[in-house]
Parts: sequence; structure tokens; C-alpha cells
Amino acid sequence: MRPLKRFETTLSRSFAGPRGVRPRSLMGRVSTKTRAALVLVTAVLLPLPAGADVIDRAVDEHVLPRVTAAAEAAAALAETAEADCAPDSEALRAAYHAGFDAWIAASHLQFGPALEDNRGFAMGFWPDPRGAGRRAIAGLISAENPIGLDPAGYAEVSVAARGYHALEAMLFNEEVAGSGTPEYRCALVRTMASDTAATAAAIRDGWLGGHADAMRSAGAAGNAAYPGEAVALRALFGAASTGLQFTSDTRLARPLGTFERAYPLRAEARRSERSLRHVALSADSAGELALILAGPAGAEVEDEIQRHRDRIAALIERLDDPTLAGVATPQGRIRVEAVRAQVDGLRRTLALDVAPVLGVAAGFNALDGD
Amino acid sequence: MATRRRVLAGLAASALAPRLGWAEAGNPGYLSAARDGSGAYRLFGLSETGQAVFSVPLPGRGHAAAAHPRRAEAVAFARRPGTFALVLDCAEGRVAAELTAPPGRHFYGHGAFSGDGSRLYTSESDYDAARGIIGVWEAGRGYRRIGEFPSGGIGPHEILRLPGAETLVVANGGIETHPASGRTKLNLPTMRPNLAYLSPEGRELDRIELATVLHMNSIRHLSARADGLVAAALQWQGDLGRAPPLLMLHRRGAAPRLAEAPGPAQVAMQGYAGSIAFSGDGTRVAITSPRGGQAHVFDAETGRFLSAWAAPDICGVAATATGLLATTGTGDVIALDANGARTVHPVAWDNHLVALA
Repeated sequence: MRPLKRFETTLSRSFAGPRGVRPRSLMGRVSTKTRAALVLVTAVLLPLPAGADVIDRAVDEHVLPRVTAAAEAAAALAETAEADCAPDSEALRAAYHAGFDAWIAASHLQFGPALEDNRGFAMGFWPDPRGAGRRAIAGLISAENPIGLDPAGYAEVSVAARGYHALEAMLFNEEVAGSGTPEYRCALVRTMASDTAATAAAIRDGWLGGHADAMRSAGAAGNAAYPGEAVALRALFGAASTGLQFTSDTRLARPLGTFERAYPLRAEARRSERSLRHVALSADSAGELALILAGPAGAEVEDEIQRHRDRIAALIERLDDPTLAGVATPQGRIRVEAVRAQVDGLRRTLALDVAPVLGVAAGFNALDGD
Repeated sequence: MATRRRVLAGLAASALAPRLGWAEAGNPGYLSAARDGSGAYRLFGLSETGQAVFSVPLPGRGHAAAAHPRRAEAVAFARRPGTFALVLDCAEGRVAAELTAPPGRHFYGHGAFSGDGSRLYTSESDYDAARGIIGVWEAGRGYRRIGEFPSGGIGPHEILRLPGAETLVVANGGIETHPASGRTKLNLPTMRPNLAYLSPEGRELDRIELATVLHMNSIRHLSARADGLVAAALQWQGDLGRAPPLLMLHRRGAAPRLAEAPGPAQVAMQGYAGSIAFSGDGTRVAITSPRGGQAHVFDAETGRFLSAWAAPDICGVAATATGLLATTGTGDVIALDANGARTVHPVAWDNHLVALA
């Protein structure tokens, strides 16, 4: 795997933090009283303009660069596929990896333009507990369905047969590579790449064509989607927090399974050996957004978030288990658990120290459960 | 909104005051319990556009409310395992009556009125016998317990009256709990939830169960369409990796149908649907997951997944004239339509948004 530049820089810093231990629950360590006190103290510290500033920074320094990069990398992949569609083509595989990297770094932004028309799912259909992707792709290939030759109409097929996970099956799943004719599979790769590029472009254009402005003008008269800054802050906070939760509860916990039984085959994108890479990229990108959101909470909280990010990067760098297959061994399991503990730690800092300052504390219903 | 002064005046007014209709309570379209900015709990009346038109204090955290079909009266239930429910006069902003569960019973948080408003049915637990009960109350001046009958299963949660009929439909969640152990689930390996149709006298007309492999999918919340189609929201108690369907559609005389979103969208619901509602025009049905911060909208006829909505802590959902309205624990009231308009309140909306008929 190519090293991630961002991690090279964090690696050079010393890793001095304690080994992460997973708490019993997100709120397990701080008493209700302490949390109430935090809310009281910090609520006073936040002057109103800070909210607007955080929204502007999150949109300009995080969201727009990420969705733009995702659209550009997907366009480059579509172009590469036009030139060379052989599944073992080095150029095509490199473009696939670059495109998937850029999407994972934007994939936590699951609101607004990414939710419209279920675009986010059309970019990355995972997890797929029923194997819908495999079935849909096999169906297209065995029938040589003409829609597989029609990039403009391809959005009509099952969402499970679209996006990067479908492309992974085309390039890395030997069962798929041995089915149907090379000509049809080649055309299908081109169609999928082109459709993925169109979806990524639609997400970017949704942001540039109005959603970014709607967020920046949260609270202005007539802004129906964001009638208050709090609504925009909650959407951004939710993206960071849910993104980290997805990495912990889904990307890591699915293969981890239980101590008695691990599920290494449940790891995301394991055929193209991207499982651990997705953990790294998603935690890094959601962590970047977390850091911006932490601005009003002060330098100490920002440092805490950066420390979590550094530890995650360092633990992943040492892990050397691209497909997370190690979850099946006691030693490998402990190392993957350690990454998960740090991701949870970052999320806990967000919930306890950032949410009250931004006025976005949630969980009234989520934690009630009835 | 009822001011403190108005609430006090209401409390001082004698119980002989005439009973008022919903118009006197500001013509709310919805009821929802909430925690306000000061940490106090209240029941709110909301207009069709999501503006607060009244609020009445509650002694503790509420769950759902049942609205009287005619009088401006709402029964607010404590969250389970509560033993009290308050009958609120929403026009006067006062407590009109108090319901206390009989010894050995507790409320589950939901109730339904008969068509003429003369009876109230409440979902309850006969916990020493681990048996679900429907309590029957005469809903006249003051509320009087006049009977009870079995709910048809364990852990009855939401109860509805089918539109235009007196038939009751009950979501027997299947999970046994006991007040001595709080909300601890005592029978997950053997749980067997069902959807029970009962006559107003308590005769079991129909009992619908899911396939054995889904026996850990607790049937909890309900919505009914004018033509008798019932939708149920489920809460999965098993391995989250399986991400089973959380929406069941059923019409009496036909087999139940399950509906789910495509893989990752389904996983995002975290195995938990907290509320359910048909759209006002009946073409769609929505379920919400506060744990996943998502609402999912499906085609009510085909069960096809239509769209996902993201909002942290979203839970309450109810029909508007044609569409759907949802509430969140962060205070938002959101239209689940193309425009996605929101109004924001300085409160935390509780689990359920109840549409007035």
C-alpha cells in the first residue's frame, strides 16, 4: 500500500500517549454532574459570531475541498477507464485507488447533496449484508444487460451495482473476472466509472450550486433548510460524529465480531486490500472536521483532538494489516481494538467537550431507547 | 403558548368549567412531550407548520400522548415503567384527571381512545405474570378504570384504533421486563413479538408473528392508514451485523411484508426504529432512528425504499395534510419533503409526535 502523506508527518511526532482502553460507554467516564458543569461553563464562553465562523471554516476548509477532490478523482478514474479497462491494468487500479481514497475522505458528509437521490450510497454501497451488490453485478453480466453499456441510464440499476464497491468487484473479485465476456465486463467497468464520476460531480455541484451558501447563511430570513446556525452546526457535528461512529461500529466492529468469533471476511473492501486504509482515511478526514468544530472549545480541546488523531495514525502505521485479517488472531485483535479505542476516544471528546460548546448536544431520544 | 400566569389561572379555575374543544387550545395539529430549556418537562401542542400553540407542564419525562377525538384533552403517559398518566386539559392548561395503574400493573407509554372518545385503552404490563394487558378506562368526567383484557402477548407497546372502526391493533413487543429490574430485558432468547388485532371487548381477532429467524425483532410502534393498512416499526435485539428489516406492513387477511433500505442505509439505522407514520396522502410511510440519526421513507404500496433523511436524534414523526413531519431531540421540526423546511425550538422533543385526528 502506498503510504499516506498525512500520516508520514504525524509519525515523526513522538507517540507518548497511554495505550487506549475502550470505555464501557461513550459517556461512561464523566459523571452527569461534571457534564452539567461543563455545559454551564462553556456555554458562557461561546460568543455568537463563533458559530458562523466555524460554519464558514468547515465549509471552505473541509467540505468543499473534500467533495471537489472526490469529484476530480472520480472524473480521472472515468477517463482512465476509457483508455484502459482491463481489470489488471496498473493505471486503472491506481486510478481506482485514488478515486476511492478521495471518496472515503468525503464519505462522512452524508447530508444535503450526498443524501439527495441516495447519491452517497451510489458512491459507496457498503456494508452489504445480503450480498446485493454481488447478485446485481452477476445479473448484469450473465444477461449482458444493455444498461451496462449506457453510462447515462446506469443510475437506474440497483444502487448496489454502482460506485466504488461495485468497481472493486469488477477489478478484484476473481469470480466476477471469470464470468461473462471480457468485452461486456470492459464496457461495464467504463459505465460504472462514468456513473460514479457523474454522481461525485452531482454532489460537488450540489454544494457549489447552493448548499454551501445555504449553510454559510444559516439563520438568515427565508433560509428554510438552515433556519438557525444551530441547525447547520448540528449537521456538521453529526457528520463528524457519525463518520467516526461508522468507522468504529461498522468498519472495525463488523470484522472484530465477538471475542469468541471474529468475521475477517466482513472487512470493507478487503479484496483490494483497502480495509485498514479506509479506517485511516475516514478517521483522518472526520478528525479534520472535528478539529475545526472544536475551535470555539479552546486550545486544550483542540490539542486533545489532535492527540487522538496522532495516536490513530501511529497505531495504524504500526498495524501492517491492510485487510484486517488479523482480527482472527488474539494479537491482531488487540491491535485493531486499540485503534477502535482511539476512534471512540476522539468521538467522546467531541461529545463531551465540543458538543456543549456548540450547543449541539444530542442523545435525548437516542439514549432513551423505547 | 400557555404562559405561567395562564396555567396558574387554569389551575385555579374550578373543575366545573365547561369542557372545551381543540379550537380553544389554539387548534393544534400535533402533540409532543419535550424537555424545555430550563430542564422542565412539558406537553406541547404544535400547529400544522410546527409552531408551538400551547404547552402544559408535566411532572416528569413523558413518552407519548393520546389525544381525545373531540375534547381538548390529552393523556400524557410517563415513560415506562411509569404507573401514572395525566389527563391534561390543553385549553385551560391544567391537569383534569390522573390515571394510576392498578396494583401489579404499569403503563408502557401509549394509549388510544374509542371512536366516540368514551373509552381509553392503555397498554400495560401484568408484570408478575409476564403478561401484556390492555386497561380500559371510562373517559368521562374524571377517568375510571372499568376493566382490562389480555393484549395477546408480552410487552404491549403502542396501541391504535383502526381508522373508521373500533378494532384495536396492538404491538406486542415480546420483551419481558419487571419493574424490580428496570428496563433490563429478561427473555431475549425466547422472545416472540406479535401484532394483535383485538375487538373493543378484548376478543383476539388476529395475531401476526414474524418468521422464526426474526423472533428478536421487537414490534413496537404503529401507524394505520384509512383503508386499514397497518405499518409497524421494529427494534432488533440480535446481532447488529445482520441489519434486518425494521418496517413491517400488514393488512388483515394477508401475510405481513417486510421492507428495508439498501445495505448501507439499512445498517445506518442501527437496528432501531423509534417511531412510524404514514404520510397524509397515504402513499408513503416513514420510520425514524434516533440512534442512526436517520429517517427512512418508503413507498407504502410496494415497500420500496425512497429516501433517507439525516438529522441527529430524530424520532417523532407524523402525517401532515399530504406529507410527513418529524421532530428531533435537538429541537428541530422538519418537513420530510423536497424543501426540507425546519423550525427550531429551544426544547428537546421526546420520542413521539402525535397527530390529532
